Amino acid sequence: MRLYSQHLLGTLVLSVLVVCIALGGGFQLNEHGARAMAQGGAFAARADDPSAIYFNPAGLGFQGSSVYLGTTFIMPQVTFYGPTDISITKETKMVNQTFTPINIYGTYELNDNIHLGIGVNNPYGLGTEWPAHWVGETKTQKTDLTSYFITPTIAYKIDDQLSVGAGLNYVTGKVTMKIATPIPFDAPLPIVNLDLSATGVGFNAGLIYKFIPELSLGLSYRSSVKLDANGTAKFDPNYTVLPLPNGDASASITLPATGYAGLACKVMKNLEVEADYQYVGWSSYKELAIIFKADPTKNKVMTKNYHDTYILRIGAEYTMNKIQFRAGYLYDHSPVSTEYVDPMLPDANRNGYNVGVGYKICERWRVDAAYFFLKFDQRKAENTVINFDGTYNMTATLLGIDIGYTF
Amino acid sequence: MKQYIVLFITLAALIAALLIGCTDSAPTGPAIGLGNSTVTKYVSIGNSLTAGYQSAGLYKSAQLYSYPNLIAQQLTKASANIGTFEQPYWPDPGIPDPLTEKASRYVIYGWSGTTPEIGPIGEALTAGAPENAATVLRPYDNLGIPGIPLAGFMDTTGTYQSPPLGRDAILRWTSNALLGKSVFRQVATLKAMGHTPDLVTFWLGANDVLGFAVGGGLIAATGNAPTPSATFQFLYSQALDFLRNALPNAKIVVGNIPNVTSVPFFTTVNPLLAPNIPSGLAIYYQKHLTTGSSTASTRLTEANAPLITLKGQAYAALLGHPTGQFWRDAAASLGAPLSAVLAAQGATLDTTKPFGLHPQNPWPDALILDADEIALATNAVNNFNSTIATVAAAHNAVVVDFNGFFNNIKANGIIIAGEKYTSDYISGNIFSLDGVHPSDRGYGIVANEYIKVINACFNMNIPLVDVNALPGLPAQLHKGGNGKINPVLPFGAFNSLDLLFSPSVQ
Repeated sequence: MRLYSQHLLGTLVLSVLVVCIALGGGFQLNEHGARAMAQGGAFAARADDPSAIYFNPAGLGFQGSSVYLGTTFIMPQVTFYGPTDISITKETKMVNQTFTPINIYGTYELNDNIHLGIGVNNPYGLGTEWPAHWVGETKTQKTDLTSYFITPTIAYKIDDQLSVGAGLNYVTGKVTMKIATPIPFDAPLPIVNLDLSATGVGFNAGLIYKFIPELSLGLSYRSSVKLDANGTAKFDPNYTVLPLPNGDASASITLPATGYAGLACKVMKNLEVEADYQYVGWSSYKELAIIFKADPTKNKVMTKNYHDTYILRIGAEYTMNKIQFRAGYLYDHSPVSTEYVDPMLPDANRNGYNVGVGYKICERWRVDAAYFFLKFDQRKAENTVINFDGTYNMTATLLGIDIGYTF
Repeated sequence: MKQYIVLFITLAALIAALLIGCTDSAPTGPAIGLGNSTVTKYVSIGNSLTAGYQSAGLYKSAQLYSYPNLIAQQLTKASANIGTFEQPYWPDPGIPDPLTEKASRYVIYGWSGTTPEIGPIGEALTAGAPENAATVLRPYDNLGIPGIPLAGFMDTTGTYQSPPLGRDAILRWTSNALLGKSVFRQVATLKAMGHTPDLVTFWLGANDVLGFAVGGGLIAATGNAPTPSATFQFLYSQALDFLRNALPNAKIVVGNIPNVTSVPFFTTVNPLLAPNIPSGLAIYYQKHLTTGSSTASTRLTEANAPLITLKGQAYAALLGHPTGQFWRDAAASLGAPLSAVLAAQGATLDTTKPFGLHPQNPWPDALILDADEIALATNAVNNFNSTIATVAAAHNAVVVDFNGFFNNIKANGIIIAGEKYTSDYISGNIFSLDGVHPSDRGYGIVANEYIKVINACFNMNIPLVDVNALPGLPAQLHKGGNGKINPVLPFGAFNSLDLLFSPSVQ
């Protein structure tokens, strides 16, 4: 019977592939552990697995030594209808892509008070690709942003009620883009291939306070990180009679600051619930300016004007012997006003529905899996500053898995 | 344990199914179609703009993008059963310039750095019949006749049937030899043959002022004064009377006349030439040849500065040189002796003086539209347009306001699906190389203005032309580069346009 159950669980894990990361508003990726993800990302007040390095470094203070690692499969589906001034119903489907951000955490209990950790994950990223020669090719053809955060962390458990923690974020970022340039001639449009990379530094910090063992408060903050990206631009084709600035190019992007405030409660012996409020400082993303060193008159400045926003998260975990059932919900308020919605990163208010399961395979091994369906509100882009109006229908399916080992 | 796992899988699958099932539906708009109307025959009446003229030529690869052909394609998409929209196709490179007997079409034949070099395609040929003349055994549906003014609609005297511009090949039908071959007779013949038009676009009148303007406002030399407003009013009423009586149930859409100075033919050269006027000097130009030769001066930057036409760009490089190049070209074009042409300019003309910078070798009137001439043209356009509005309303015809539309483009440009279009020469993406006639995309924009009015007035939902998907200007981009469009034009460039806009030439 036991063998059969384990076999069944294995099948479950492989076929459902539980989630560990989820998309957040803009190009933020918000979930960095399958266990937290399955609970709507409401985790900052507990942070009782190694993903605390992301959610709340104070959580390390109440943990032993362990490793936790996994990946997520993010599969967005986007359909654009428009542009309105040609046809409100003309359909273009974004090219389907699967993104696989990773998360790797290791924690080490130096002594009862001091706990160390290090994490590698991808808190910001995005990718959009539209079909070749699509109607918006001069707005965007293909965009990819990836970032790696390497986060050495220290937590100090002051007493059994209070822990504080902080981490340093060493960030590497990479941006690639393809955008077509309009020309008045009957010839293939020059497409710029941008390949930029950058490094940056930020920090994060947090605290967890347990009023009583069953009720805890978590606060955490992650600073913004400014990335001054440099690299090259290559226009293809580049007509000698309409010269475009090949060569050095640069762009600056500030990854926004974010903060969590969460309250977790063990309402029954086997049931924990948590609700979090997350703030995201998206107002740092005012514009995306591509600077061409060879000819600044050809610089491409794209106004974004994101505004600060919030995400509401709620989740629960029910433990039954070796297996844990989890569920969660989140509401992510879009940082993008109607007139700034663009096909490089169409965005809308989102409702996320999460379920997941954890299984303690043996004393030292555990596995977590999550399924996450993200439903975007239908987004009508109207009176846009780029004069590219239309309707975006969007969903994303995310599957993630993490494996943990406790020393 | 097992039952919990089964329960979990069942629940997860159920949630997944529910959620994926709740995706948004596609936006819906009014159904594409003709509403409660039917359209079985569409006929377009007009001049070179309607024929699909581009880059000073009429040729098949441009005619395919004439605004009437684009409208016909969109009508078909809206389930109008109009059959094939027949146009008289002249295979590329198109109809010849009767002066040179070579194709009149202009092309970008090379680049000097990033400056396009523009000139006639230079292929010798003689006017032939349209390739489909023998297979279309009825009047064409596109009755755009290059060069005709409003009077050409009813005229049966042959004035507007001169072969060089292919006019006779279009005006070839009549139901009664005694009635002659006017444009109107083509419509009447279509009706007599059972092809009664139920949608008509009518865009005439531009040549009643454009010939005057393109020729630099020369009145005495060519008789190209704008048509008198009273005459225009008479002719417009007559035209719509006949049309409405012949087609009592047709939907008639008329276009009004764009202000001639909204096209790049008049707006391109001043900003290119002004910086080249030496400091402290000014351009001396001939003024009002009708009242004898006098000169005035300009630095092209004053509020009422004259407009140098695109034809003048060919001579821009000669500014300050002791030359009579323009007069030699004029003599050659007229087939007259140079001495006679020079003598007509008065005794003071001295081509050893710096061209354009000296009162005795002034910038020729034919290459300039001065403030008085602009006022005359603008006044004519305004009078014509108020006539068009009144007469159209009296004949149950609806009006497309091209004057307002192109004035707005001149001031602000227009953005279509995120792409900006302006009235700038070449780079503006609306006008062809002659600076007067639209390009493929420009004609798409014109077609959409018609379709918007048709949809609004007749409660239809004909889809708009995807302008951005139409071809740009043909150009060899691999030759020879500073990014500014500062065209090199050959001497005598656009002489064939004079012919096109000179109704009296036969």
